[in-house]
Amino acid sequence: MFASRRSAVYREVSGTPGPLALLGEAIGEVLSRRRLIRYLVSADMKKRGSDTVLGNLWWILDPLLQMVVYVIFVTIISPRHQDDYPLFIFAAILPWKWYSSVVADGVVSVVMQAGLIRQIAFPKIVLPIAVTTANLVGFGWGLVPLLGLMLFFPHRISVYLLWIPVIAFVQYVFSIATAMFLAAANVFFRDLGNIAGHLLRLWWFLSPSLFSLDQLENISFIKNRPWIQALAEANPFAVLFTAYRTVIYGSPDGKGPPAAPDLGQLLALLAGSVVLVALAAIVFKRLEPNFAKVL
Amino acid sequence: MLRRRTPAPPRTPAGATDAIVASNLGVQYDLRFNRKRPMREALAKVITRHPPERFWALRHVDVRLAHGESLGVIGPNGAGKSTLLQVLAGIMRPSEGSVEVRGAVSGLLTLGAGFDQELSGRENILLGGAFLGLDDKVTRELMPGIVEYADIGAFIDAPIKTYSSGMRARLGFSIATAVDPDILLLDEVLSTGDATFREKSKARVIDLVRSAKAVVLVTHDMSWVEEYCNRAILLEKGQVIIEGPPAEVVETHLNRTEMARVEREAAARGAGLDPRIAS
Repeated sequence: MFASRRSAVYREVSGTPGPLALLGEAIGEVLSRRRLIRYLVSADMKKRGSDTVLGNLWWILDPLLQMVVYVIFVTIISPRHQDDYPLFIFAAILPWKWYSSVVADGVVSVVMQAGLIRQIAFPKIVLPIAVTTANLVGFGWGLVPLLGLMLFFPHRISVYLLWIPVIAFVQYVFSIATAMFLAAANVFFRDLGNIAGHLLRLWWFLSPSLFSLDQLENISFIKNRPWIQALAEANPFAVLFTAYRTVIYGSPDGKGPPAAPDLGQLLALLAGSVVLVALAAIVFKRLEPNFAKVL
Repeated sequence: MLRRRTPAPPRTPAGATDAIVASNLGVQYDLRFNRKRPMREALAKVITRHPPERFWALRHVDVRLAHGESLGVIGPNGAGKSTLLQVLAGIMRPSEGSVEVRGAVSGLLTLGAGFDQELSGRENILLGGAFLGLDDKVTRELMPGIVEYADIGAFIDAPIKTYSSGMRARLGFSIATAVDPDILLLDEVLSTGDATFREKSKARVIDLVRSAKAVVLVTHDMSWVEEYCNRAILLEKGQVIIEGPPAEVVETHLNRTEMARVEREAAARGAGLDPRIAS
Protein backbone atom coordinates (compact mmCIF):
# COMPACT_ATOMS: atom_id res chain seq x y z
CA MET A 1 0.00 0.00 0.00
CA PHE A 2 1.13 3.52 0.31
CA ALA A 3 2.00 3.96 3.85
CA SER A 4 4.97 2.57 5.56
CA ARG A 5 5.13 2.06 9.20
CA ARG A 6 8.08 1.04 11.23
CA SER A 7 8.48 0.13 14.83
CA ALA A 8 9.29 2.81 17.31
CA VAL A 9 12.97 3.46 16.75
CA TYR A 10 15.24 2.43 13.98
CA ARG A 11 18.58 3.42 12.76
CA GLU A 12 20.00 2.86 9.34
CA VAL A 13 23.64 3.32 8.62
CA SER A 14 25.53 2.76 5.44
CA GLY A 15 27.45 -0.47 5.23
CA THR A 16 26.37 -4.10 5.53
CA PRO A 17 26.25 -6.29 8.63
CA GLY A 18 28.12 -9.59 8.65
CA PRO A 19 26.66 -12.83 7.26
CA LEU A 20 25.55 -14.22 10.62
CA ALA A 21 23.82 -10.98 11.56
CA LEU A 22 22.06 -11.02 8.17
CA LEU A 23 20.95 -14.60 8.72
CA GLY A 24 19.63 -13.75 12.17
CA GLU A 25 17.76 -10.79 10.73
CA ALA A 26 16.23 -12.98 8.03
CA ILE A 27 15.02 -15.55 10.55
CA GLY A 28 13.53 -12.84 12.76
CA GLU A 29 11.73 -11.27 9.80
CA VAL A 30 10.20 -14.52 8.65
CA LEU A 31 9.03 -15.45 12.13
CA SER A 32 7.49 -12.05 12.78
CA ARG A 33 5.76 -11.90 9.40
CA ARG A 34 4.10 -15.31 9.34
CA ARG A 35 0.71 -13.73 8.86
CA LEU A 36 1.88 -11.75 5.87
CA ILE A 37 3.19 -14.97 4.33
CA ARG A 38 -0.16 -16.60 5.00
CA TYR A 39 -2.06 -13.75 3.34
CA LEU A 40 0.26 -13.81 0.36
CA VAL A 41 -0.23 -17.54 -0.03
CA SER A 42 -4.01 -17.29 0.09
CA ALA A 43 -3.93 -14.34 -2.33
CA ASP A 44 -1.85 -16.46 -4.67
CA MET A 45 -4.32 -19.34 -4.38
CA LYS A 46 -7.21 -17.08 -5.16
CA LYS A 47 -5.52 -15.64 -8.22
CA ARG A 48 -4.51 -18.93 -9.73
CA GLY A 49 -7.05 -20.00 -12.25
CA SER A 50 -9.41 -17.17 -11.42
CA ASP A 51 -9.48 -16.17 -15.08
CA THR A 52 -9.85 -19.65 -16.60
CA VAL A 53 -13.08 -21.54 -17.10
CA LEU A 54 -11.93 -24.66 -15.30
CA GLY A 55 -10.20 -22.69 -12.54
CA ASN A 56 -8.54 -24.78 -9.87
CA LEU A 57 -9.43 -27.92 -11.78
CA TRP A 58 -6.30 -27.21 -13.79
CA TRP A 59 -4.19 -28.19 -10.80
CA ILE A 60 -5.56 -31.67 -11.21
CA LEU A 61 -5.66 -31.78 -15.00
CA ASP A 62 -2.18 -30.33 -15.62
CA PRO A 63 -0.08 -33.20 -14.26
CA LEU A 64 -2.44 -35.78 -15.79
CA LEU A 65 -2.18 -34.27 -19.27
CA GLN A 66 1.58 -33.95 -18.91
CA MET A 67 1.74 -37.61 -17.99
CA VAL A 68 -0.29 -38.56 -21.06
CA VAL A 69 2.14 -36.63 -23.28
CA TYR A 70 5.18 -38.38 -21.82
CA VAL A 71 3.58 -41.81 -21.89
CA ILE A 72 2.80 -41.40 -25.60
CA PHE A 73 6.24 -39.95 -26.28
CA VAL A 74 8.18 -42.66 -24.45
CA THR A 75 6.05 -45.46 -25.84
CA ILE A 76 6.86 -44.31 -29.36
CA ILE A 77 10.64 -43.84 -28.99
CA SER A 78 11.32 -46.76 -26.72
CA PRO A 79 9.38 -50.01 -26.75
CA ARG A 80 11.15 -51.17 -23.59
CA HIS A 81 10.02 -49.38 -20.46
CA GLN A 82 8.91 -50.12 -16.93
CA ASP A 83 5.63 -51.83 -16.13
CA ASP A 84 2.79 -49.52 -15.14
CA TYR A 85 4.71 -46.73 -16.81
CA PRO A 86 2.03 -44.03 -16.27
CA LEU A 87 2.47 -44.35 -12.52
CA PHE A 88 6.24 -44.58 -12.85
CA ILE A 89 6.36 -41.25 -14.62
CA PHE A 90 3.62 -39.57 -12.63
CA ALA A 91 5.70 -40.05 -9.47
CA ALA A 92 8.29 -37.73 -11.06
CA ILE A 93 5.96 -35.30 -12.85
CA LEU A 94 4.15 -34.31 -9.68
CA PRO A 95 7.16 -33.09 -7.67
CA TRP A 96 8.78 -31.60 -10.76
CA LYS A 97 5.71 -29.59 -11.61
CA TRP A 98 5.90 -28.13 -8.12
CA TYR A 99 9.59 -27.32 -8.43
CA SER A 100 9.34 -25.81 -11.89
CA SER A 101 6.51 -23.53 -10.81
CA VAL A 102 8.54 -22.52 -7.77
CA VAL A 103 11.34 -21.51 -10.12
CA ALA A 104 9.03 -19.70 -12.54
CA ASP A 105 7.15 -17.82 -9.80
CA GLY A 106 10.20 -17.40 -7.57
CA VAL A 107 12.25 -15.64 -10.23
CA VAL A 108 9.68 -12.85 -10.54
CA SER A 109 8.45 -12.83 -6.94
CA VAL A 110 10.43 -9.73 -5.94
CA VAL A 111 10.42 -7.98 -9.32
CA MET A 112 6.63 -8.25 -9.55
CA GLN A 113 6.19 -6.32 -6.31
CA ALA A 114 8.31 -3.40 -7.53
CA GLY A 115 5.57 -0.88 -6.80
CA LEU A 116 5.23 -2.04 -3.24
CA ILE A 117 8.95 -2.28 -2.61
CA ARG A 118 9.47 1.32 -3.64
CA GLN A 119 6.76 2.47 -1.25
CA ILE A 120 6.85 0.39 1.91
CA ALA A 121 9.59 -0.90 4.10
CA PHE A 122 8.84 -4.59 4.62
CA PRO A 123 11.01 -7.70 4.68
CA LYS A 124 11.20 -8.76 1.05
CA ILE A 125 12.30 -12.24 2.06
CA VAL A 126 8.67 -13.20 2.66
CA LEU A 127 7.99 -12.99 -1.09
CA PRO A 128 9.94 -16.05 -2.32
CA ILE A 129 8.86 -17.99 0.77
CA ALA A 130 5.21 -17.24 0.05
CA VAL A 131 5.60 -18.34 -3.57
CA THR A 132 7.19 -21.63 -2.58
CA THR A 133 4.49 -22.27 -0.01
CA ALA A 134 1.67 -21.45 -2.42
CA ASN A 135 3.09 -23.98 -4.84
CA LEU A 136 3.30 -26.53 -2.04
CA VAL A 137 -0.47 -26.23 -1.81
CA GLY A 138 -0.59 -26.84 -5.56
CA PHE A 139 1.45 -29.98 -5.01
CA GLY A 140 -1.11 -31.04 -2.40
CA TRP A 141 -3.83 -30.71 -5.02
CA GLY A 142 -1.75 -32.86 -7.34
CA LEU A 143 -2.11 -35.73 -4.87
CA VAL A 144 -5.78 -35.95 -5.87
CA PRO A 145 -5.07 -37.17 -9.42
CA LEU A 146 -2.29 -39.34 -8.00
CA LEU A 147 -4.79 -41.18 -5.82
CA GLY A 148 -7.15 -41.39 -8.79
CA LEU A 149 -4.40 -42.85 -10.93
CA MET A 150 -3.46 -45.36 -8.23
CA LEU A 151 -6.95 -46.84 -8.45
CA PHE A 152 -5.88 -48.20 -11.85
CA PHE A 153 -2.86 -49.87 -10.26
CA PRO A 154 -4.38 -51.18 -7.01
CA HIS A 155 -1.54 -53.65 -6.39
CA ARG A 156 0.83 -50.70 -5.89
CA ILE A 157 -1.20 -49.00 -3.17
CA SER A 158 0.65 -49.25 0.16
CA VAL A 159 1.09 -47.57 3.52
CA TYR A 160 4.39 -46.20 2.23
CA LEU A 161 2.40 -43.47 0.50
CA LEU A 162 2.36 -41.81 3.92
CA TRP A 163 6.04 -40.99 3.35
CA ILE A 164 5.08 -38.43 0.70
CA PRO A 165 4.78 -35.51 3.17
CA VAL A 166 8.24 -36.28 4.56
CA ILE A 167 9.82 -36.31 1.11
CA ALA A 168 7.84 -33.19 0.19
CA PHE A 169 9.24 -31.42 3.25
CA VAL A 170 12.80 -32.04 2.07
CA GLN A 171 11.84 -30.75 -1.36
CA TYR A 172 10.18 -27.71 0.24
CA VAL A 173 13.40 -26.71 2.00
CA PHE A 174 15.40 -27.16 -1.19
CA SER A 175 12.80 -25.13 -3.13
CA ILE A 176 12.93 -22.24 -0.67
CA ALA A 177 16.67 -21.93 -1.19
CA THR A 178 16.17 -21.89 -4.97
CA ALA A 179 13.35 -19.35 -4.88
CA MET A 180 15.21 -16.99 -2.54
CA PHE A 181 18.36 -17.02 -4.58
CA LEU A 182 16.59 -16.55 -7.92
CA ALA A 183 14.27 -13.83 -6.61
CA ALA A 184 17.19 -11.72 -5.39
CA ALA A 185 19.44 -12.31 -8.37
CA ASN A 186 16.71 -11.56 -10.90
CA VAL A 187 16.41 -7.99 -9.65
CA PHE A 188 19.87 -7.27 -11.01
CA PHE A 189 19.92 -9.71 -13.87
CA ARG A 190 16.53 -9.88 -15.52
CA ASP A 191 17.59 -12.45 -18.08
CA LEU A 192 17.54 -15.03 -15.32
CA GLY A 193 13.93 -16.00 -16.03
CA ASN A 194 14.75 -16.96 -19.62
CA ILE A 195 17.89 -18.82 -18.63
CA ALA A 196 16.20 -20.65 -15.77
CA GLY A 197 13.49 -21.96 -18.11
CA HIS A 198 16.02 -23.67 -20.34
CA LEU A 199 18.14 -24.97 -17.49
CA LEU A 200 15.03 -26.47 -15.95
CA ARG A 201 14.19 -28.38 -19.08
CA LEU A 202 17.72 -29.72 -19.30
CA TRP A 203 17.66 -30.67 -15.63
CA TRP A 204 14.40 -32.58 -16.07
CA PHE A 205 15.76 -34.72 -18.87
CA LEU A 206 19.09 -35.31 -17.11
CA SER A 207 17.33 -36.36 -13.92
CA PRO A 208 15.96 -39.88 -13.62
CA SER A 209 12.50 -38.70 -14.57
CA LEU A 210 11.61 -40.67 -17.67
CA PHE A 211 14.07 -43.41 -16.78
CA SER A 212 15.51 -44.88 -13.60
CA LEU A 213 19.06 -44.43 -12.33
CA ASP A 214 19.98 -48.08 -12.83
CA GLN A 215 19.25 -47.77 -16.55
CA LEU A 216 22.23 -45.43 -16.80
CA GLU A 217 24.57 -48.27 -15.89
CA ASN A 218 23.59 -50.08 -19.05
CA ILE A 219 24.83 -47.24 -21.25
CA SER A 220 28.45 -48.05 -22.12
CA PHE A 221 29.44 -44.37 -22.38
CA ILE A 222 28.50 -43.88 -18.74
CA LYS A 223 29.76 -47.26 -17.59
CA ASN A 224 33.29 -46.24 -18.58
CA ARG A 225 32.98 -42.94 -16.74
CA PRO A 226 31.97 -43.60 -13.14
CA TRP A 227 32.00 -39.88 -12.33
CA ILE A 228 28.97 -39.36 -14.52
CA GLN A 229 27.09 -41.99 -12.57
CA ALA A 230 28.24 -40.38 -9.29
CA LEU A 231 27.11 -36.97 -10.52
CA ALA A 232 23.77 -38.37 -11.63
CA GLU A 233 23.22 -39.87 -8.20
CA ALA A 234 24.20 -36.67 -6.37
CA ASN A 235 21.55 -34.70 -8.29
CA PRO A 236 19.00 -33.57 -5.68
CA PHE A 237 16.23 -34.59 -8.01
CA ALA A 238 17.69 -38.06 -8.43
CA VAL A 239 17.32 -38.43 -4.67
CA LEU A 240 13.83 -36.91 -4.65
CA PHE A 241 12.46 -38.73 -7.71
CA THR A 242 13.85 -42.02 -6.43
CA ALA A 243 12.30 -41.43 -3.01
CA TYR A 244 8.87 -40.49 -4.42
CA ARG A 245 9.02 -43.38 -6.83
CA THR A 246 9.98 -45.87 -4.15
CA VAL A 247 6.93 -45.05 -2.05
CA ILE A 248 4.45 -44.52 -4.88
CA TYR A 249 5.51 -46.96 -7.58
CA GLY A 250 7.89 -49.38 -5.97
CA SER A 251 11.55 -50.03 -6.57
CA PRO A 252 12.49 -47.75 -9.52
CA ASP A 253 14.06 -50.62 -11.43
CA GLY A 254 10.59 -52.13 -11.54
CA LYS A 255 11.58 -55.23 -9.60
CA GLY A 256 10.20 -54.60 -6.15
CA PRO A 257 7.02 -53.40 -4.45
CA PRO A 258 6.73 -49.96 -2.76
CA ALA A 259 9.00 -49.55 0.24
CA ALA A 260 10.32 -46.90 2.60
CA PRO A 261 12.65 -44.37 0.94
CA ASP A 262 16.39 -44.27 1.55
CA LEU A 263 16.45 -42.15 4.70
CA GLY A 264 20.21 -41.59 4.64
CA GLN A 265 19.98 -39.94 1.23
CA LEU A 266 16.98 -37.85 2.24
CA LEU A 267 18.68 -36.65 5.42
CA ALA A 268 21.82 -35.76 3.50
CA LEU A 269 19.72 -33.77 1.03
CA LEU A 270 17.86 -32.09 3.88
CA ALA A 271 21.11 -31.09 5.55
CA GLY A 272 22.48 -29.77 2.28
CA SER A 273 19.24 -27.86 1.63
CA VAL A 274 19.31 -26.25 5.07
CA VAL A 275 22.82 -24.99 4.35
CA LEU A 276 21.63 -23.72 0.96
CA VAL A 277 18.69 -21.90 2.56
CA ALA A 278 21.07 -20.19 4.99
CA LEU A 279 23.37 -19.18 2.13
CA ALA A 280 20.46 -17.99 -0.01
CA ALA A 281 19.06 -15.97 2.90
CA ILE A 282 22.43 -14.28 3.41
CA VAL A 283 22.73 -13.47 -0.29
CA PHE A 284 19.15 -12.20 -0.32
CA LYS A 285 19.64 -9.98 2.72
CA ARG A 286 22.91 -8.73 1.27
CA LEU A 287 21.22 -7.62 -1.96
CA GLU A 288 17.94 -6.46 -0.39
CA PRO A 289 18.96 -2.86 0.44
CA ASN A 290 19.49 -2.22 -3.27
CA PHE A 291 16.12 -3.57 -4.42
CA ALA A 292 14.34 -0.23 -4.07
CA LYS A 293 17.05 1.53 -6.03
CA VAL A 294 17.10 -0.84 -8.96
CA LEU A 295 13.40 -1.69 -9.31
CA MET B 1 -0.43 1.10 18.39
CA LEU B 2 -2.50 4.22 18.20
CA ARG B 3 -1.01 4.93 21.56
CA ARG B 4 -1.38 8.50 22.61
CA ARG B 5 1.80 10.13 23.54
CA THR B 6 2.27 12.79 26.08
CA PRO B 7 2.94 16.10 24.36
CA ALA B 8 6.48 16.39 23.13
CA PRO B 9 8.71 18.23 25.55
CA PRO B 10 10.07 21.57 24.41
CA ARG B 11 12.58 21.37 21.61
CA THR B 12 16.19 21.24 22.54
CA PRO B 13 18.94 21.25 19.97
CA ALA B 14 20.39 17.76 19.39
CA GLY B 15 18.24 16.39 22.18
CA ALA B 16 16.68 12.95 22.44
CA THR B 17 13.35 14.46 21.41
CA ASP B 18 14.39 14.64 17.79
CA ALA B 19 12.08 12.58 15.62
CA ILE B 20 14.51 12.32 12.74
CA VAL B 21 18.24 12.79 12.72
CA ALA B 22 19.92 12.21 9.40
CA SER B 23 23.53 13.12 9.09
CA ASN B 24 25.72 13.30 6.03
CA LEU B 25 23.18 11.25 4.14
CA GLY B 26 24.18 9.97 0.74
CA VAL B 27 22.39 7.64 -1.65
CA GLN B 28 24.24 6.39 -4.66
CA TYR B 29 22.59 4.73 -7.63
CA ASP B 30 24.44 2.26 -9.75
CA LEU B 31 23.15 2.70 -13.26
CA ARG B 32 24.62 -0.53 -14.53
CA PHE B 33 21.74 -2.40 -12.94
CA ASN B 34 19.00 -0.16 -14.26
CA ARG B 35 18.52 -1.81 -17.59
CA LYS B 36 15.24 -0.20 -18.31
CA ARG B 37 16.67 2.17 -20.86
CA PRO B 38 15.52 1.60 -24.40
CA MET B 39 17.65 -0.12 -27.00
CA ARG B 40 18.23 3.17 -28.83
CA GLU B 41 19.82 4.71 -25.75
CA ALA B 42 21.93 1.66 -25.07
CA LEU B 43 23.19 1.88 -28.63
CA ALA B 44 23.87 5.60 -28.31
CA LYS B 45 25.82 4.84 -25.19
CA VAL B 46 28.10 2.50 -27.06
CA ILE B 47 28.68 4.98 -29.88
CA THR B 48 29.19 8.09 -27.76
CA ARG B 49 31.45 8.33 -24.77
CA HIS B 50 30.34 6.35 -21.74
CA PRO B 51 28.56 8.50 -19.18
CA PRO B 52 29.39 7.81 -15.53
CA GLU B 53 27.80 4.61 -14.32
CA ARG B 54 27.13 5.86 -10.80
CA PHE B 55 25.52 8.96 -9.49
CA TRP B 56 24.58 10.37 -6.15
CA ALA B 57 20.85 10.98 -5.82
CA LEU B 58 21.56 12.54 -2.44
CA ARG B 59 24.83 13.66 -0.94
CA HIS B 60 25.91 15.35 2.27
CA VAL B 61 22.36 15.91 3.34
CA ASP B 62 21.69 16.68 6.99
CA VAL B 63 18.13 16.67 8.23
CA ARG B 64 17.12 17.15 11.81
CA LEU B 65 13.49 17.22 12.73
CA ALA B 66 12.15 17.63 16.24
CA HIS B 67 8.79 16.27 17.35
CA GLY B 68 6.20 18.91 16.63
CA GLU B 69 8.00 20.26 13.62
CA SER B 70 6.87 20.19 10.02
CA LEU B 71 9.49 20.23 7.31
CA GLY B 72 8.79 21.10 3.69
CA VAL B 73 11.05 19.63 1.02
CA ILE B 74 11.01 21.42 -2.33
CA GLY B 75 13.11 21.32 -5.44
CA PRO B 76 12.95 20.61 -9.16
CA ASN B 77 12.22 17.16 -10.56
CA GLY B 78 15.01 14.70 -9.96
CA ALA B 79 16.43 16.68 -7.06
CA GLY B 80 16.31 13.65 -4.75
CA LYS B 81 13.19 14.60 -2.79
CA SER B 82 11.50 11.22 -3.11
CA THR B 83 14.78 9.42 -2.46
CA LEU B 84 15.07 11.36 0.78
CA LEU B 85 11.60 10.24 1.83
CA GLN B 86 12.41 6.64 0.91
CA VAL B 87 15.49 6.71 3.10
CA LEU B 88 13.55 8.26 5.99
CA ALA B 89 10.83 5.60 5.59
CA GLY B 90 13.44 2.84 5.82
CA ILE B 91 12.81 1.68 2.25
CA MET B 92 16.36 2.40 1.20
CA ARG B 93 19.53 2.04 3.13
CA PRO B 94 21.82 5.07 2.77
CA SER B 95 25.08 4.48 0.93
CA GLU B 96 26.74 7.01 3.18
CA GLY B 97 25.95 8.54 6.54
CA SER B 98 23.19 7.51 8.88
CA VAL B 99 19.54 8.11 9.61
CA GLU B 100 17.83 7.67 12.92
CA VAL B 101 14.07 7.75 13.27
CA ARG B 102 12.26 7.75 16.59
CA GLY B 103 8.56 7.02 16.38
CA ALA B 104 6.14 5.12 14.19
CA VAL B 105 6.53 6.27 10.62
CA SER B 106 3.73 6.41 8.12
CA GLY B 107 4.27 7.54 4.58
CA LEU B 108 1.68 8.53 2.05
CA LEU B 109 3.82 7.94 -0.94
CA THR B 110 2.45 8.01 -4.44
CA LEU B 111 -1.11 6.73 -4.56
CA GLY B 112 -2.07 4.12 -7.09
CA ALA B 113 0.36 1.20 -6.90
CA GLY B 114 0.39 -1.61 -4.41
CA PHE B 115 -3.05 -3.14 -4.70
CA ASP B 116 -3.52 -6.73 -5.67
CA GLN B 117 -5.85 -6.57 -8.65
CA GLU B 118 -7.54 -9.92 -8.10
CA LEU B 119 -8.34 -9.41 -4.42
CA SER B 120 -11.32 -7.52 -3.06
CA GLY B 121 -10.95 -4.16 -1.37
CA ARG B 122 -11.43 -5.74 2.01
CA GLU B 123 -8.79 -8.40 1.36
CA ASN B 124 -6.44 -5.71 0.14
CA ILE B 125 -6.89 -3.83 3.39
CA LEU B 126 -5.86 -6.94 5.35
CA LEU B 127 -2.95 -7.64 3.03
CA GLY B 128 -1.87 -3.99 3.16
CA GLY B 129 -1.99 -4.04 6.94
CA ALA B 130 0.18 -7.17 6.96
CA PHE B 131 2.68 -5.49 4.64
CA LEU B 132 2.80 -2.49 6.93
CA GLY B 133 3.53 -4.80 9.83
CA LEU B 134 0.32 -3.95 11.64
CA ASP B 135 -1.09 -6.55 13.94
CA ASP B 136 -4.01 -8.32 12.27
CA LYS B 137 -6.31 -7.36 15.13
CA VAL B 138 -5.43 -3.71 14.63
CA THR B 139 -6.15 -3.89 10.90
CA ARG B 140 -9.51 -5.47 11.59
CA GLU B 141 -10.31 -2.74 14.07
CA LEU B 142 -9.40 -0.06 11.55
CA MET B 143 -11.40 -1.77 8.79
CA PRO B 144 -14.83 -0.14 9.36
CA GLY B 145 -13.31 3.32 9.43
CA ILE B 146 -11.30 2.69 6.28
CA VAL B 147 -14.30 1.30 4.42
CA GLU B 148 -16.51 4.16 5.49
CA TYR B 149 -14.06 6.89 4.53
CA ALA B 150 -13.27 5.32 1.15
CA ASP B 151 -16.99 5.48 0.40
CA ILE B 152 -17.05 2.95 -2.42
CA GLY B 153 -20.17 1.10 -1.34
CA ALA B 154 -20.62 -2.54 -2.29
CA PHE B 155 -17.43 -2.45 -4.36
CA ILE B 156 -15.45 -3.05 -1.19
CA ASP B 157 -16.09 -6.78 -1.69
CA ALA B 158 -15.37 -6.75 -5.42
CA PRO B 159 -11.90 -7.31 -6.93
CA ILE B 160 -9.81 -4.14 -7.25
CA LYS B 161 -9.61 -4.66 -11.02
CA THR B 162 -13.26 -3.67 -11.26
CA TYR B 163 -12.59 -0.32 -9.56
CA SER B 164 -12.38 3.01 -11.32
CA SER B 165 -9.13 4.87 -10.80
CA GLY B 166 -10.88 7.30 -8.51
CA MET B 167 -12.18 4.50 -6.30
CA ARG B 168 -8.73 2.99 -6.18
CA ALA B 169 -7.21 6.29 -5.12
CA ARG B 170 -9.89 6.80 -2.48
CA LEU B 171 -9.34 3.36 -0.96
CA GLY B 172 -5.57 3.80 -1.03
CA PHE B 173 -5.77 7.18 0.63
CA SER B 174 -8.19 5.86 3.21
CA ILE B 175 -5.87 2.98 4.16
CA ALA B 176 -2.79 5.14 4.26
CA THR B 177 -4.35 7.73 6.53
CA ALA B 178 -6.09 5.26 8.84
CA VAL B 179 -3.01 4.73 10.93
CA ASP B 180 -2.15 7.47 13.34
CA PRO B 181 1.59 7.95 13.00
CA ASP B 182 4.15 9.80 15.07
CA ILE B 183 6.02 10.80 11.96
CA LEU B 184 4.23 11.44 8.70
CA LEU B 185 6.00 11.39 5.34
CA LEU B 186 4.00 12.92 2.50
CA ASP B 187 4.96 12.83 -1.14
CA GLU B 188 2.67 14.74 -3.52
CA VAL B 189 -0.46 13.11 -2.21
CA LEU B 190 -2.90 15.68 -3.30
CA SER B 191 -2.71 15.33 -7.04
CA THR B 192 -5.09 12.36 -7.38
CA GLY B 193 -8.83 11.88 -7.30
CA ASP B 194 -11.69 14.05 -8.44
CA ALA B 195 -12.27 17.57 -7.14
CA THR B 196 -14.65 16.53 -4.36
CA PHE B 197 -12.31 13.89 -3.06
CA ARG B 198 -9.36 16.24 -3.35
CA GLU B 199 -11.10 18.64 -1.02
CA LYS B 200 -12.02 15.85 1.37
CA SER B 201 -8.51 14.41 1.34
CA LYS B 202 -6.90 17.80 1.73
CA ALA B 203 -8.88 18.32 4.90
CA ARG B 204 -7.75 14.95 6.22
CA VAL B 205 -4.11 15.56 5.37
CA ILE B 206 -4.26 18.88 7.15
CA ASP B 207 -5.71 17.09 10.17
CA LEU B 208 -2.90 14.56 10.04
CA VAL B 209 -0.27 17.23 9.65
CA ARG B 210 -1.71 19.04 12.64
CA SER B 211 -1.94 15.93 14.84
CA ALA B 212 1.26 14.15 13.79
CA LYS B 213 4.24 14.72 15.96
CA ALA B 214 6.49 15.40 13.01
CA VAL B 215 5.87 15.83 9.30
CA VAL B 216 8.05 15.77 6.22
CA LEU B 217 6.18 17.09 3.21
CA VAL B 218 7.47 16.81 -0.34
CA THR B 219 5.48 18.98 -2.71
CA HIS B 220 5.50 21.26 -5.71
CA ASP B 221 2.70 23.29 -4.21
CA MET B 222 4.47 26.24 -2.60
CA SER B 223 1.36 27.42 -0.77
CA TRP B 224 1.40 24.17 1.21
CA VAL B 225 4.95 24.71 2.31
CA GLU B 226 4.30 28.28 3.38
CA GLU B 227 1.07 27.40 5.12
CA TYR B 228 1.80 24.15 6.93
CA CYS B 229 5.54 23.93 7.39
CA ASN B 230 7.61 25.74 9.96
CA ARG B 231 10.84 24.95 8.17
CA ALA B 232 11.83 24.05 4.64
CA ILE B 233 14.77 22.80 2.66
CA LEU B 234 15.51 23.24 -1.01
CA LEU B 235 17.11 20.24 -2.71
CA GLU B 236 18.84 20.47 -6.05
CA LYS B 237 20.80 17.65 -7.62
CA GLY B 238 20.85 15.78 -4.33
CA GLN B 239 22.27 18.65 -2.30
CA VAL B 240 20.68 20.99 0.18
CA ILE B 241 20.84 24.47 -1.34
CA ILE B 242 19.22 26.32 1.50
CA GLU B 243 17.46 25.52 4.73
CA GLY B 244 15.38 27.93 6.74
CA PRO B 245 11.98 29.56 7.14
CA PRO B 246 9.53 28.42 4.44
CA ALA B 247 9.00 31.85 2.88
CA GLU B 248 12.72 32.36 2.41
CA VAL B 249 13.33 28.91 0.96
CA VAL B 250 10.36 29.16 -1.39
CA GLU B 251 11.58 32.53 -2.63
CA THR B 252 15.06 31.15 -3.28
CA HIS B 253 13.53 28.22 -5.14
CA LEU B 254 11.35 30.47 -7.33
CA ASN B 255 14.27 32.73 -8.11
CA ARG B 256 16.55 29.87 -9.04
CA THR B 257 13.82 28.26 -11.18
CA GLU B 258 13.33 31.55 -13.00
CA MET B 259 17.08 31.94 -13.51
CA ALA B 260 17.37 28.42 -14.86
CA ARG B 261 14.48 29.11 -17.25
CA VAL B 262 16.08 32.28 -18.56
CA GLU B 263 19.37 30.49 -19.04
CA ARG B 264 17.67 27.65 -20.89
CA GLU B 265 15.89 30.09 -23.17
CA ALA B 266 19.09 31.92 -23.89
CA ALA B 267 20.79 28.66 -24.66
CA ALA B 268 17.93 27.66 -26.93
CA ARG B 269 18.12 30.98 -28.79
CA GLY B 270 21.86 30.56 -29.09
CA ALA B 271 21.40 27.11 -30.55
CA GLY B 272 18.76 28.48 -32.92
CA LEU B 273 21.15 31.12 -34.20
CA ASP B 274 24.03 28.74 -34.64
CA PRO B 275 23.25 27.41 -38.11
CA ARG B 276 22.89 30.90 -39.62
CA ILE B 277 26.20 31.98 -38.14
CA ALA B 278 27.83 28.83 -39.38
CA SER B 279 26.59 29.40 -42.93
